[in-house]
Amino acid sequence: MSVIDILTRVDAICKKYDKYDVEKQKDVNVAGDDAFARLYAAVEADLESALQKAESASKEKNKASAVAMNAEVRRTKARLLEEVPKLQRLAVKKVKGLSGEELAARNDLVLALPDRIQAIPDGSAPAAKQSGGWAASASRTEIKFDSDGRFDDEYFQQTEESSGFRQEFEMRKIKQDQGLDMISEGLDTLKNMASDMNEELDRQVPLMDEIDTKVDKAAADLKNTNVRLKDTVNQLRSSRNFCIDIILLCIILGIAAYLYNVLKK
Amino acid sequence: MASSDPNKLMAKADKLTKLSLTRWSADWKSATQLYEQAAIGYRVAKNHENAKIAFEKASKGQEMLSSPWDAAKHMESAAALAKEVGNWTEVADFYKRASELYMVCGRPQPASDALAKGARALEDAVPDEAIQLYTDACSILEEDDKEQMAFDLYRAATCVYIKLEKYTDAATFLLRWGLAADKCSATNSQCKAYLSAIIVYLYAHDFKQAEKCYNDCSQIDVFLRNDHGRCASKLLSAYSEGDIEEIKRLGQSSTISNLDHVIIRLARKLPTGEVCALKTEAAEEQEEPLDENDLT
Repeated sequence: MSVIDILTRVDAICKKYDKYDVEKQKDVNVAGDDAFARLYAAVEADLESALQKAESASKEKNKASAVAMNAEVRRTKARLLEEVPKLQRLAVKKVKGLSGEELAARNDLVLALPDRIQAIPDGSAPAAKQSGGWAASASRTEIKFDSDGRFDDEYFQQTEESSGFRQEFEMRKIKQDQGLDMISEGLDTLKNMASDMNEELDRQVPLMDEIDTKVDKAAADLKNTNVRLKDTVNQLRSSRNFCIDIILLCIILGIAAYLYNVLKK
Repeated sequence: MASSDPNKLMAKADKLTKLSLTRWSADWKSATQLYEQAAIGYRVAKNHENAKIAFEKASKGQEMLSSPWDAAKHMESAAALAKEVGNWTEVADFYKRASELYMVCGRPQPASDALAKGARALEDAVPDEAIQLYTDACSILEEDDKEQMAFDLYRAATCVYIKLEKYTDAATFLLRWGLAADKCSATNSQCKAYLSAIIVYLYAHDFKQAEKCYNDCSQIDVFLRNDHGRCASKLLSAYSEGDIEEIKRLGQSSTISNLDHVIIRLARKLPTGEVCALKTEAAEEQEEPLDENDLT
């Protein structure tokens, strides 16, 4: 890490914890009575933070977050521009303990503010800085000149990327269209099959009704027959008849055997 | 008994039925039994001619015994054997007789089935007769309010017509199909039938008829609003503009691909070369009224 980086970091950290710096607050409060000084200090602070945001936005790789940050910067700029007329009015007011030169100086400061605000890069201005550098808006005329030359480059780069994006978008849209076409074809087939199935089922409803009645009739007949069969078998199975049957059978077999024996001799 | 020679059985049965001095009334019961056995024996022996004759006689016997159902069944078997033999007139006669017997039983469905079987048997040999049988079968079902069953018959008859290249007849039959579908509210089949009719007319280069047909069919709301109706109107407008690409594209569309495959074949062949002629014809017609105006 280079010294410059360390210095930057230390500066940023100090700025962040400035509000805990009691002495500095005392200084700020000294100007507490002076409305102009207060407002001016606030505007300055906002300007600084907007500048920093603009720097980080220009360093940002992700396009989406860069765009978001630029939008923030623009909003801050608009707000600050609104504050400027207020400051102008306050600048003209006479405050005790203030010399005439300081008054004039204040007026100049206020007049310089709008320019400084406008100079904050927000990604849409042609005065956009390429790399976040130390260069403050103090040297903005030079930057303007530079970016005039670089104006075309940057614009070009954007069109390349955006045209690539656009092409991808078109291709994706075409692929989607193709997919949707296939889906619609499949749905057409499904619809036709479904309506054919519908008609077929309609056709089969009366057939099923007929089958239903026929089967009902057959079932009733079967039941009838079963009951009659049961009765008959029961009659046959009554044990007395059965025994009589067996005895008679034995007698017949006995007679047959006897006859057989007699005839054999 | 079943294993004995069918010839012997036939002879025996004939003797039973022939009236003579000793026999004053024919014994149809036993005779029919013998005839049936003989017929089965002949069929097993692949003796189609004799089997056919045996079945015929058996059927007559059943008729005498007042069982038209069995008689009809035997007639059908006889007809199937006649088909094997190749005697087409007999096939038609037998199936018609069987159908009549089924009607006597009060069963229109088997009656129309018998006619349909006959028609299918005769499709290749005597297509006109086949068409007649199909038509009769359809009328039997329609009388009995069973139009749903007739769809298959309509389809088959249309195929036969198209094979014979009788396109106007085919289209008329398709419209009849549409009517039957309408009666049983089978809207999908109805619209398909109308679209097929229009395609058949176009295939036969009969653009006026096709338009008339379309106008007639658009009276029916269902067809007008349906996919098929829209496809038909697109087809007709493509024809009147002479846009061959459009016609080809419509022929490939899914609406047409869901019709009967015979119709699909016609549709794919559709721009039959006379499209430009149609366009100029239409243009000429428009010019004539202008001329009249000029004269006046």
